[in-house]
Amino acid sequence: MSTFRNAQEQAHPNKNSTLTLAIIVVQLLLVSIQIWLLYSGLNNALEHNKGIAIPALVASFILFLVCCSLLYFLPGRGAGKKYNRRS
Amino acid sequence: MATDQEQMMPDWQRDFPYRQDQARLVTRREFSRMLCLISAAMVTGSAYVVAKAYWPRTGVPAGRYRVCGKDELPAGGTRSFQLPGSSVPYILLHLEDGTFKAYEQKCTHLSCAVFYKTGTGKIECPCHNGWFDAATGEVIQGPPPRPLPALQVVEEGNDVFVMGPGTKAG
Repeated sequence: MSTFRNAQEQAHPNKNSTLTLAIIVVQLLLVSIQIWLLYSGLNNALEHNKGIAIPALVASFILFLVCCSLLYFLPGRGAGKKYNRRS
Repeated sequence: MATDQEQMMPDWQRDFPYRQDQARLVTRREFSRMLCLISAAMVTGSAYVVAKAYWPRTGVPAGRYRVCGKDELPAGGTRSFQLPGSSVPYILLHLEDGTFKAYEQKCTHLSCAVFYKTGTGKIECPCHNGWFDAATGEVIQGPPPRPLPALQVVEEGNDVFVMGPGTKAG
């Protein structure tokens, strides 16, 4: 069996932390874009430009799916612990 | 339940504990999940905007309404009015060039009442120093994101009428 994962965990014990932080930063970015889409859609709808509202909704929904799919890459709760343990 | 030892901890140590298992506040994992919930809320908001934009509007006044006589409003003067069946405040302006304009009297920023500044050709929102062009309703300066919604004004004889916002064009 490959020992690649073990070696990686031992060489970079903070990798899980970095990965979690990166995922949160990307999610924050996605939510910021969604806020902008909501603001634009609302302002244009109030100005009787209905055409913006539906593309904004579709884009917002796609960003939501991306946001949720990023949860898959969150390191597991016990990830890295067994390799970092000093015995 | 918090143990006696935890009760004795100073606040700063409870916020930034030495040990991972003492961290009882929101973890990054929980924060990430919360971001997904906020994301879902944004989608819901966008869906609400679409529903409101495409849902047929009911209860919007349509047709022609008399506001006042021309001689009742001197040049530079204004008159507030409401349309029957609606609580939206409007303002009729008699500009110095002789034309009549009617706008919603609510700022498009935070719905403060707007006022015509006589002699300047500008409508002022005093709450956050927003300014609109009295001739077109366009934003000149300040935080308002959109022009003031306007009503079509019809002058007939000595009377000034406005067309309700629900009136179909043509």
